[in-house]
This record gives sequence, C-alpha cells and structure tokens, in this order.
Amino acid sequence: MSTLDLIGIGKSYGATEVLRSIDISLASGEFLVLLGASGCGKSTLLNVIAGLLSPTTGEIRIDGKRVNEVHPKDRDVAMVFQSYALYPNLSVRRNIGFGLEMRGVPRARRDEAVARVARMLQIDGLLDRKPAELSGGQRQRVAIGRALVREPKIFLFDEPLSNLDAKLRMEMRAEIKHLHRLLATTVVYVTHDQIEAMTLATRIAVMNNGAIEQIGSPEDIYRRPATVFVASFVGAPPMNLIEATWDGRGLHLDGSGQTLALPAPDAAPRPVTLGVRPEDLRLADPADELAIAATVDFAELTGPDRIVFSRLAGVPILASLPPHSHVTADEQVRLTFSKRDMHLFDRGSGKRIDIPLRPVA
Amino acid sequence: MEQRSLGFSVFLYASALLLAVLILAPFAWLFIMSISSTTDLISKPLRWWPAQADWSRYRVLTDLTPNTHGAALMSALKNSVLVAAIATLAALAVSVPTGWALSRSRAVNWSLGLVIGTYMLPPVALAVPLYMGLAALDLLNTRFGLAVVYLTILAPFTAWLLKSGFDPIPRDIELAAAIDGARLDQTLRILILPLAAPVIGTAALFAYLLAWDEFFYALLFTSDQRAKTVTVAIADLAGGRVADYGLIATAGVIAALPPVLFGLLMQRTLISGLTTGSVKG
Ligand SMILES: Nc1ncnc2c1ncn2[C@@H]1O[C@H](COP(=O)(O)OP(=O)(O)O)[C@@H](O)[C@H]1O
Ligand SMILES: [Mg+2]
Repeated sequence: MSTLDLIGIGKSYGATEVLRSIDISLASGEFLVLLGASGCGKSTLLNVIAGLLSPTTGEIRIDGKRVNEVHPKDRDVAMVFQSYALYPNLSVRRNIGFGLEMRGVPRARRDEAVARVARMLQIDGLLDRKPAELSGGQRQRVAIGRALVREPKIFLFDEPLSNLDAKLRMEMRAEIKHLHRLLATTVVYVTHDQIEAMTLATRIAVMNNGAIEQIGSPEDIYRRPATVFVASFVGAPPMNLIEATWDGRGLHLDGSGQTLALPAPDAAPRPVTLGVRPEDLRLADPADELAIAATVDFAELTGPDRIVFSRLAGVPILASLPPHSHVTADEQVRLTFSKRDMHLFDRGSGKRIDIPLRPVA
Repeated sequence: MEQRSLGFSVFLYASALLLAVLILAPFAWLFIMSISSTTDLISKPLRWWPAQADWSRYRVLTDLTPNTHGAALMSALKNSVLVAAIATLAALAVSVPTGWALSRSRAVNWSLGLVIGTYMLPPVALAVPLYMGLAALDLLNTRFGLAVVYLTILAPFTAWLLKSGFDPIPRDIELAAAIDGARLDQTLRILILPLAAPVIGTAALFAYLLAWDEFFYALLFTSDQRAKTVTVAIADLAGGRVADYGLIATAGVIAALPPVLFGLLMQRTLISGLTTGSVKG
C-alpha cells in the first residue's frame, strides 16, 4: 500500500525523446493503466518506475521518498514482464520463491508463502514442474505468482495478457481485477488493449508519442476525451470524426454543404473536428434537427448490433444501430445524435472544446 | 511421416554413407597401418589388408622404460593433457565473463571484430614476439608457458562462441532477477550459466581439441620431455633416419584417444533447448 509520484519524467536516447515530462500522482491502492499504441513509451516508463532504466530528467517518489538512485531490488516493486521472463532452469516453486530466496527468507517461511500464492492462483499442482512443461496460461500465472509472493509496495504489469488467446485473456483479466480488490496494492499496468484498460483501471493514462494525452477515470476518458487522439484511440468501433467549420450560424460539415444548427459563441469561423461515437448515432425522425445525411455502403450484423458503414462527402461514418434496423445499400440515411453525446475538438491543437449545452443567448 | 520417393531415400543414404566414408577412411587406414607388419607396409604393391594383426607397436609405445619411444610418447601425452586442460580452463575463465559482456552490451562489439581480425595473421608472424616474451618470463619449454600461448589463441574463439551462446538467453531474465533482488553473481551462477551450459560445454570441447592438435607453437616453444606435446612427439618419431610408418600410425591412434574420451564425456552436456519455457504462451 503505497503512493507513487512521477514528476516531470523524461527519457531520451541521444536526440530521440522517448518520454516527455510525464506527471502522474497515484494514491495508495490505485490501479493505473498506461494505454497507448506500440512504441509510445509505455514499457520505458514502467522500466523507469522499476529502476531498470534511469530517467534523463524528473523524479520518482514512492511513499513520498525520492527513489531515483535506489536499485530495483531495494524499491520493493514487483514486475510481471510481457515475456513473463520465467527462469527456465528452475522449478515453478523456485521461480515463485526466487525473490524471497534472494532476500534471505528461511526455507520454511518461503515454502509456506509459495504454497499460499500457488493456491490463490490455482497452480499448486504444478510446483515441481519446469516452465517449459506449462501452458501459456499457466506460465502467466507463475509470472503473476512470482510478483504476488513478495507483497511489494507496487505491482508493475507490462502487457501481461498480450500473449494469451481471447478466452484466457478474459479469465485472467477477471482474476487480476479480483486480486487487486483482495490485496489493494497500488498497480501500474501497461496495455495497448482498450478493453483491458476500461475494465481494470481506476484511472487510465492515455499515452501518445512519449507524452500523456489524458489521465482520468475510464468514464472520463470515454465520455470526455481531452484530445482528438484520445477520442480516436479509445472506443471500438472508433469514434466518427468529421471536419467542420464552426461559426455564428452553425457547424458547417466540410465538403458536404450540410450545416448543423449549433451556432458558435463567436462569430468568427473556426476549423474544428466533430466527433460522435457510432453507438451514439440513431436513425433520425423527420422532426430531428441535429442530423447528418449520409449514403449507406453496407451493413454488418455483429449480433447485438447492426453496424452501418456509410459515407458523408467521402468521410466514412459508422453507426451502431439496433439489430432490427433496416437499411439498404446506396440508401440515404439521416443519422441523429444528442448534443450531450457529441464532441468538438479544435483542429489546430486537437484539444477538446467544451460545448455549451444550451444555445448561447 | 512424409512420403519419400525411393530415389530420394537412396540419395539420402548414399550421401550419408559418402560422408561417413570420407570422415572414417583416414582413421580406419591409420588403425590398419598400426597393426600391419612392416613388411606389409613397405611391400610393393602395397598390401591394404595385413596378413596378420601385429599389436607389438602398442606394447612398444606404452613401455615406460626411460629413453624409449614409449617413455617419450607417454610423457608427451601427459604434457598434452595438462597443457590443453590448463589452456581450456583459463580460456573459459576469461571468456565466460567476456562473452556475457559482449552479448549484453552492443558498445564493445567492435573489439570482438578486432580480436577475430588477429586470427587473420599467420601464426609465424607472432612466433618471434611470443618467443621473446616467453624467454623473458623464463617460460620457454614449460607446460605453463605453452598453455599461456594457447590461451591467447583460444580465448578470442571461445569468447566469440560463448557470446553467440548468451545471445538467445532473454535479457528479461536478468532484469526479473534484478527486481527479485539477485546480485550479479547470483544471477550468473543460478540462472545464466546453467542456461548457457550446453554452449560452455561446446566451447570447452572445441578449445580442448584446438589445443590438443596445435603443432606449430608446440614445436617452437618446447624442447624436451618436460613440455613436449604429443603432436611434437609424433613428429619426432617421423624425424629419425628410418621412419617406421606403423609406429607413427600407432602413436596417432593413441593420441586420438584422449580427445575422443573427452568428447564422449562432454556429449552429455551438449543438450540444447534449455531456454524453452521462459517466454511466450
Ligand atoms: N535503447 C533504446 N535506444 C533507442 N530507442 C529506444 C531504446 N529503447 C526503446 N527505444 C524506443 O523508445 C520507444 C518506446 O519504446 P517502448 O517503451 O518499448 O514502447 P511501448 O512499450 O509503448 O511499445 C520506441 O520507439 C523504441 O524504439
Ligand atoms: Mg512495450
């Protein structure tokens, strides 16, 4: 149970900046997910927290104390590697107990701790095997067990589920969530999978190009994305993004001649991006004013939804409609949404623009 | 099992047989020579198959009476075993840490290229400086001195071999061990060296064979039974006024035995694939 503060963390390799002024403050027991595309610096940040890499700038504090100069083994963190990094020549028992063995915990206490963790992870029957004799899911559990057994201040997970198949991934996700509820240890968890991020996190930090785009609760990230990047990265199918020009008369959708009756507070035209999630779109009634007219390409039934692929002046628009909705190819549809569910971003900075829900007087 | 055509099978077995013959024929001929009578060996045309097996030369060469061929060969065998063993152990002691460092840090890789580059020099080029060095240290005609010379030949080779052996061991294992609180020596002793055991065994075997077979420096830097190795001793047998081919062949067979025994011994460690199970699902 520990707090973690990252203050202005930067990391460069020569001229390449891999991390840029990362600021994160975690309360004790939080579950932070670092979410971002491959290569955006997630593992680098995790390794900086673990002490496997030194940051070029900035400070790392655990429980309020600066640990920049502290060796990984003395930071009291445990890490689950993406590759698992099990010790292939040691038995599962010794793999899990290795951290305790190295810290000089007596044999009897060690075996007891290993047995307890193994029972919790349901691998108690496998303790005498070598990692090569385990399935992917079992190796994954051993890797987690190795971290759990030490009862560290902070758990670090680097894409621990990315090598598993879909079903196992879902099971392990539930298990990790359960373990966190049980142990209430502070967790930093790296993934590029937004479902993992949404389901596990108490807070998500969306990373892009070495910087944090937005940090907030899963709800916040999904409902109020701070930038176009976050909006497009989180959500599947992804948010529709339509370029538009906003002025005192309304929101003019570029290239289509359509205007939405949403006058801007300022009269001066402003280039913006309109964002609407597919699931926030409905087929419009004639009475609906806030609607986009688009041409249907085709529709796919996914089971619970019918995904309609359409186009507005060449820009693809996806709508996730109820399965019984009836649309045909080449048909013109009017898709409507509630003002509450739309997002506007400044096209220059990519930053969110807060829309007044009532038209300005 | 895949279906193979008859022609393919014939080709496969023929190739294997050809290889076996190429490898074994000289050794078989060596052995046959060692048990052929001198008359058989010098008759024209050559008698390829001895009329009668003659084992007497083995008795001659294992006879330990001073100042005989036997005593000379046996002390040379002992010298060879010791020199090769010292050189091999020293080469491993030097090149295990070096190979590991080379594998883990890209910054020093150029130095390996440089060292391998020295292999391009003909041994003669180094003979004079090495001779003067050994003389200055009073190590000429000593087993230790020769072992030191061999070390300079073996260490770059074993370091290179071990580097390639350490390369496939995932770096993450070391990082995980560091987080688990292992010191560097513990990481190496408990995890990395056992994982590299097959390659270390291979390196030891090759180093031993290289040292065992070395002739040029042994001829230059040793002068009597205190340090002469088996390759030089065999050459001595051939150097007399009348060369007894059968005797030389017998010495060759005896000299081949220790490396073969060592090879069989090391075979047990040469099991690869020990790193499976560390990674992936
Ligand atoms: N040792 C290094 N030298 C130079 N660039 C590096 C090094 N390690 C990582 N990088 C770069 O840093 C970026 C972030 O890497 P990483 O943190 O592994 O990304 P992620 O885990 O998000 O996929 C990548 O573009 C990678 O190429
Ligand atoms: Mg990564």
